[in-house]
Amino acid sequence: MNTPAIRIKNLTKDFSVGMRGVKLRAVDDLCLEVGDNEIFGLLGPNGSGKSTTIKIILGLLEASTGTCEIYGKPSKQVDARRSVGFLPEAPYFYRYLTGRELVRYYARMCMVPRAKIDAAVNSVVELVGMTEAADRRVGTYSKGMLQRIGLAQSLVHDPQLVMLDEPTAGVDPLGSAAIADIVRELKRRGKTVLLSSHLLAQIEGLCDRVAILHRGKLVREGRVDDLVEEKDAESLVVEGLSAEGRAAVEATIQAQGGILARIEKPRLSLDAYFLKEVHQRESEHAAQQVKTGSQKS
Amino acid sequence: MSVLQHPLIVRLSRVLTILLILLLLGLLTRPIEAPAWKVVKAGQPEMNLEAIEGALGQGLVVGVLGGFRAILADFLWIRTNTIWERRDRVKLDAMVRLVTTLDPRPDFFWINGSRMIAYDVPNWRIREEGGYDAVPKVRQQAIDYDQAQQAFDLLDEALEFYPDKAKLYLEKGQIYLNRLKDDARAAEWFLAASQQADAPYYAARIYAELLRKQGLDTEAYSYLKDLHRELPNVPYAQKGIILERIRELENALKIPFWQRFQPAVEPMLEEPRGAPAFDAPEPHDHAGHAH
Amino acid sequence: MSLLNSFTRIRLIAGTTFLEAVRQKFFNSLLIISIALVASSTFFQQFDFGTGELKFITDFGFGALFFFGSILSITATTQLFFNEIENRTALTMLAKPVYKLEFLAGKFLGAHLLMLSFSLVITLVLSGILYWREAALLARLGEDVLLDGPLVRYGDVFVFGFLQWIKFGILAAITLFVASFSNTNLYTIIVSFFVLIICQLQYIARDAYSGMEAGLERFLVMGLGLIFPNFQLFNIGDQLVFDVEQALPLTTVLRLAVYGLIYTCAFILLAQVNFRRREI
Repeated sequence: MNTPAIRIKNLTKDFSVGMRGVKLRAVDDLCLEVGDNEIFGLLGPNGSGKSTTIKIILGLLEASTGTCEIYGKPSKQVDARRSVGFLPEAPYFYRYLTGRELVRYYARMCMVPRAKIDAAVNSVVELVGMTEAADRRVGTYSKGMLQRIGLAQSLVHDPQLVMLDEPTAGVDPLGSAAIADIVRELKRRGKTVLLSSHLLAQIEGLCDRVAILHRGKLVREGRVDDLVEEKDAESLVVEGLSAEGRAAVEATIQAQGGILARIEKPRLSLDAYFLKEVHQRESEHAAQQVKTGSQKS
Repeated sequence: MSVLQHPLIVRLSRVLTILLILLLLGLLTRPIEAPAWKVVKAGQPEMNLEAIEGALGQGLVVGVLGGFRAILADFLWIRTNTIWERRDRVKLDAMVRLVTTLDPRPDFFWINGSRMIAYDVPNWRIREEGGYDAVPKVRQQAIDYDQAQQAFDLLDEALEFYPDKAKLYLEKGQIYLNRLKDDARAAEWFLAASQQADAPYYAARIYAELLRKQGLDTEAYSYLKDLHRELPNVPYAQKGIILERIRELENALKIPFWQRFQPAVEPMLEEPRGAPAFDAPEPHDHAGHAH
Repeated sequence: MSLLNSFTRIRLIAGTTFLEAVRQKFFNSLLIISIALVASSTFFQQFDFGTGELKFITDFGFGALFFFGSILSITATTQLFFNEIENRTALTMLAKPVYKLEFLAGKFLGAHLLMLSFSLVITLVLSGILYWREAALLARLGEDVLLDGPLVRYGDVFVFGFLQWIKFGILAAITLFVASFSNTNLYTIIVSFFVLIICQLQYIARDAYSGMEAGLERFLVMGLGLIFPNFQLFNIGDQLVFDVEQALPLTTVLRLAVYGLIYTCAFILLAQVNFRRREI
């Protein structure tokens, strides 16, 4: 598909504050394109205009000036939202419904044909890993489960564009990792994902491209690698090198006209370390369970 | 930013637009609202606001105007009952006036109020003055007349609201008959009651009976004959009893056999639904209390 | 087809709104208080009012329906609206292909369904108590009291319940309209109560202006009488149930229903005008 998933041109949003009509500019002349089948990160500190931009994309707010299109359709048209799934930050759902009833409810809101509802609901519930808890009431869900069932409701009508507002806020690292996996799976299925976050570490490994907003203005935009790479530097990760060997490498670098800028111990991110440890213990626990089970039988 | 785009102007213009829309809506719905309001308003007689405001205060008046008129009158009636139990006749009179001014619609208030004033208050007054044995008969009668007059004033006021309500005429007749023992005046009111559209059949029979009591047998005979002819042939009209009375009068007046009343032979009709047809004097529950 | 889809969405939103509403403690407390109040009208039997007791019970029941119904209509609509905004359920919902008008209509219908259940429960309880007391009175006073016609016309109790429900509809729509431009729960409730009082007393202005001299004052009074709907129209409890001669004509009942429906739709549409501009 050549049409970009989102095309924002010279978008500005002013809010009038008080009776005297003092203008507060939330988004300032923003131009942005999100390509199809891309994972795009909208980054920025609180109050940078991320949520306002998302609301304009969703047609929940009208832009003061500029245009916004979703797959070529003006975003203020209700019709444009047929191809959009949205998960708000810290979503609240009717607590008396079960997870499955909730997803089914939103499927019906999106006019998923009756014959296809069951299959659609089961499929997204499975995708977000909530099959076992789907028949429990939403009121009993943990924060991570709420996010996942929220994700399921946003996907149930099979939208081409999925927008996630702070999807990992308040969710533990395991839950965040699970959400990241779902996002990657969505990309694999050909979907476009736009996510906004201020938890940059979680986004870094996930997004193809990011845009950084500050006070409503676009500060930077591009591929994550392009933005964070030190263009003029390279790092070698070496194992089992003796002191002599290290002196020889340093001499060679000098001889070749390079400068040894710094020597560091490579580190895992705390996220990755935590996940590695937990996953290792989880698999040990599972193996133990299997063993105990077979001994009993 | 032009002046017209100033948020204050924008808001003001929005408010004015909404007011204009509502104004137009008010005009457009008038043809539906006006006839309905006419019907509803007909059931809500005007109030003497000044009298009520003096007694209740402004806060309650808003409640009364806002739709709590009936319920407030009910509460005041309960209060009237407490006062009645305490035998505070001055307050009782004021409360009955207040309740009937506040909500003149239910005949319940008028009738029971007048019963309290005409039947109960004289007893209290006579007891206050020493009891039936001590108070001379003349004085007792004067008290009876005084109280009956107050009850009549109340019922006359009720008749201004409901000039066609037989119950009110009957009530006056009952006071003349039961309290003042004035058969002649009682008869007038029973006759008036019998002439109302919603009159019970017994009103006319009591009138004839009162004529007999006054020795006016000829008039009673003539009246009952006409009554028998006019009444429909339904069970509640009790034409059998009327015929019995006619026969009694014929015997008393020694009417020759050939001149006696010959009732037309008619088949008995079913009682028409909703017809004013009650045929028993109402129980005298003077405001519902035993005396 | 799209209109049908629209109705489906409105129905779905109304359904969840209603279910959410009946789970609210506030609704249940108010319902219990109202039932208790109507039931406590049996206290009138101690006064031995004769058949007049039935009038007292009815006045009490109608009063409870009118008073608590108005409170519930305003507070429940406000709460249901702001809950959705504050909890961001509205955000989730409106991010779907759902029109804001569908959302508002769904919210309104949910609240209106709540009021229907409330009105129905109160009228049923009232009818039950009337039936019980009527039977007791007949046993005590004898069948003679029936000669003047039936003591209670039960159909009228439901006619009153129906017309109150229609009025609650206008009130809920007005509340929704106020909520559409207000930022807080409390502001909406206070303003809506003021509007209720004005609508309840509007008839004074409505009837007064014709007798006034031409001028600004007359113009203002006339405006007041036209801008606000006349709620006194629905204050017909005294013309129902007992007074056989002046029973409320069916055409008047229908007129009142149509009047209520027009105002309800109008206020929902006005709410939509504000809600369209509102940040969710």
